[in-house]
Amino acid sequence: MTRTFRNVVLALIVVIWVLPFIALVTTSLRSETASKTSGFWTAFTPTELGHRFGTHDKGKTEPFVTMSGNIFERLNHDRESYEVAGDVTSILFKGRLPDPDKPGKTKLIRKLIFAGEVMDVRGGEFVFQSSGDFTWTFPEATAPKPKNLDAFINQSPVFGTDAYIEVLFENKNVPNALISSFIVTIPATIIPITIAAFAAYAFAWMRFPGRDWLFVIVVSLMVVPTQLAFLPVLQGFSGIASWATSLNAWMTDCEITKTCQVASKSFASLWVTHTAFGLPLAIYLLRNYIVGLPKELLESARIDGASHLKIFTRLIIPLSVPALASFSIFQFLWVWNDLIVALYIGPADAADLVFPIRLQKQLGTFKDQLHLLNASAVISMIVPVIVFLSMQRYFVRGLLAGSVKGG
Amino acid sequence: MARVTLKGVNKSFGKVEVIRDVDLEIDNGEFVVFVGPSGCGKSTLLRLISGLENLSSGEIFIADRPVTDLPPSKRGIAMVFQSYALYPHMTVFHNMAFSLDLEGKSKKEIRERVEAAAKILQMEHLLDRRPAALSGGQRQRVAIGRAIVRNPDVFLFDEPLSNLDAALRHDTRVEIAKLHRQLEATTIYVTHDQVEAMTLADKIVVLKDGEVMQVGTPMELFHTPANEFVAGFLGSPKMNFFDGVLASASDNSGHFNGEGLDIEGVRLVSTTKNNGDQIRLGIRPQHLAFDPDGPLKGTITLVEQLGTETVLELVTDHGTPFRFASPENVEVLVGQLVAFRFDPQSAHLF
Repeated sequence: MTRTFRNVVLALIVVIWVLPFIALVTTSLRSETASKTSGFWTAFTPTELGHRFGTHDKGKTEPFVTMSGNIFERLNHDRESYEVAGDVTSILFKGRLPDPDKPGKTKLIRKLIFAGEVMDVRGGEFVFQSSGDFTWTFPEATAPKPKNLDAFINQSPVFGTDAYIEVLFENKNVPNALISSFIVTIPATIIPITIAAFAAYAFAWMRFPGRDWLFVIVVSLMVVPTQLAFLPVLQGFSGIASWATSLNAWMTDCEITKTCQVASKSFASLWVTHTAFGLPLAIYLLRNYIVGLPKELLESARIDGASHLKIFTRLIIPLSVPALASFSIFQFLWVWNDLIVALYIGPADAADLVFPIRLQKQLGTFKDQLHLLNASAVISMIVPVIVFLSMQRYFVRGLLAGSVKGG
Repeated sequence: MARVTLKGVNKSFGKVEVIRDVDLEIDNGEFVVFVGPSGCGKSTLLRLISGLENLSSGEIFIADRPVTDLPPSKRGIAMVFQSYALYPHMTVFHNMAFSLDLEGKSKKEIRERVEAAAKILQMEHLLDRRPAALSGGQRQRVAIGRAIVRNPDVFLFDEPLSNLDAALRHDTRVEIAKLHRQLEATTIYVTHDQVEAMTLADKIVVLKDGEVMQVGTPMELFHTPANEFVAGFLGSPKMNFFDGVLASASDNSGHFNGEGLDIEGVRLVSTTKNNGDQIRLGIRPQHLAFDPDGPLKGTITLVEQLGTETVLELVTDHGTPFRFASPENVEVLVGQLVAFRFDPQSAHLF
C-alpha cells in the first residue's frame, strides 16, 4: 500500500519535472505556425488542419481533357521542411450552383466535399481521394486557370530542426553565448575544485593550529548570500580595474591607440566571484569525503615514504573521484545557469553575454517566435545534460572495495 | 636485521597515560610479540616504534640509530596493518612497488624486487589484479609482500590475522612463522590472541595499562609468570586462583593456608608479602590430577568434552569456582564430588 503510494508520488514528481522539458523540445521542433496555433500536446497525434493548394502552376497552358495530380505534391513543392502528409478528409467547395428554390438563378454555396465525391471546378469534374490523388476531367480539351482550393487534411505529426538551424547559424548570438558560457563555466568549475581539494586534504589530515576554527569559519561562509556581497565585490573589481588601467598606461604604449581602459567586469571577475562563492561548499563536501577515507591507508603511505603532496596526488585524488565529480556537477550547473552574478559582474559586451542573459534578451526579441526561443533554451539545457551523463560513470560504487577489511 | 631498543618510553594522549616507562631490548632477528587485553597500549607501542605516533618522552633506537625524531619512512621499518590498508586503485604490483617508486628506484630494480617478494609469498599470478579481486587471505599476503619489498630492518605487524577466519588464520600464522625463519628479520607482532603469541614468539612482552608486565620466552611466561596478571592472561583454560594466608615463607617458596588447603613448598612469586599476609594461590587446570586423597576437593558443575581435552568446571566447599583440564576423556557426572592433588612446585603464590 505504502509502496504503491510511494511509486505514484515518485511517478508524479518525474512527470512534473519532465513535462516542461518535453514541451520545450517539442515546441522547438515544430514549425512556426504550428507552435503558434496549437499546444505542444497536439503535436504527437494527427490534427485536422486546413491547407490551401493550387491545382496547377500558373504558366501551364496546354489544353487537356483529364488532369491528374496529388494534393500533397502541390502543397509540398515549395516547402523544404515540415512537409504535409496524412489523409485529405474534405475540400471546402465555394461556388455558384443552380438555386433549387428559384429556377434559372444560381446561389453561392459553401459546402464540404468528401473524398470520392464529384465537385464542379471551373466546369470540370474534380474528384479527389483521401490519399491526395485527384483527377480533373473536362468534356473537351480545355486550358483552365489554376484554382486555389482549401483542403482539410488530417495531418500526421511532423517535426523539423529549422528552429535550431536558424538560432545556431543565422546570427551569432546563440553561438557566442555558448562560447561565453563555456569560457565562464569551465575555469569557474576547475579553479574552485582544485583549491578545495587541497584545502579539504589539509582540513582532514594535516595538523596545524586553529584548524577546526578555520573550518568552522569556512563552513559558516556558506550561508552568506551572493547578493549581500555584490556591492563590495564590484567596488573591489573596479578598484583593481583602475589600478590595472594605470599600470597598463605606464607599462605599454596603449595611450596611442586609446586602449588603456581595463574593464572591471570581465570573464576573469566572473571566475573569481564564482570561485569565491563556490569554495565553502566545495571544501565542506570534499573535506567530509576525504576525512572518511581509511586512516590506515594514509598511514601505510606515510610508512612507504610518501610526503603530504604525494599522498594527496597519488592516493587522495584518485580515491576522491566520486566526490570531485559530484561537486563539479554542482558547480558546473550553478555557474552555467547563473544569471544574477553574470548580470552584475560579467562582461557587458553583446558578444560576451553568457547564455542565461542571452535567453533573457531573446524573451524580448523572439516574443512571437516560440519555436526559436525554445530551441535556444534546449541548446542551453543540453550542455548540462551532457555534462551530467558523462560524469555519471565516475559515481562508482565501492571505489574503496578491497582496500581495508572484508569487502 | 637490527636491534630495537626502547628507553623510558612514555606516551600520553592529553592527560591519559597510554604507555608508561617502557624499557625494552629486542635482539637481531628476534620475533617479539606484544600481547595484552584490549586497551593495554600494545598497538600504541607499535605505532610509537613505527613513528606514526610521537613519543611524549623517551628514546627509541633501531639498528643502534636513534630514530625518535625520524619520520616512519626513514626508520627502516615496514608495517602490516590489521585492515591490510591496500591502495584500492592500484594493482598488486603497484601496491608493492609504491614505496620503491617513491624512493625513485629504477623501473628495472622495482620489477626485480617486487617479483622476488611475490615469489617468496607465491603470489606471482596475482600481480596484475586489484585488491577488490582478492580474497581476505590474499590481501593479507599482499600487505606482507608490500612490507617485504622495502627490505626493512624491522617488520611490524599490527594484529594481522584478526580479520581472517579461523582456518585461514591458522594457515597464515604458519606462513608468517616460516617467513620469519626464511628472512631472519627482526619482527614485532601485536596480538590479543595468546595462541598466536605462544606459537610465534621467541619472546613475549605482556602489557597491561601501558606497563610491561613481563618479558620472556613463551615457556618462561607459562611456567614462571611474574605476577598474577601474566599467570591469568596466558594459558587456556585460565589459571585457578584461591585466596588464603601466607603461613610462612622461605627464600622462594611459601606455605599457603586457605580454602581448606594447607600446602608447603609452593613457588613464591611475590617478594613483598610477609608471614600472615593475604595471598593468592595459582594453579593451572592442567597441573591438577585426580586423587581420591588429594587436598583439593570440588563438586562438578559442568563437563566440556572437546575431543582433544576435557574441561571440568568445579566449585569448592567454600564456593570458589575452579577448572580442571585433562588431555584424556574423563567419565564423570555433573554433581559428583572429586578430589585432586598437585605438585606444589607447579603452583604459584602471588
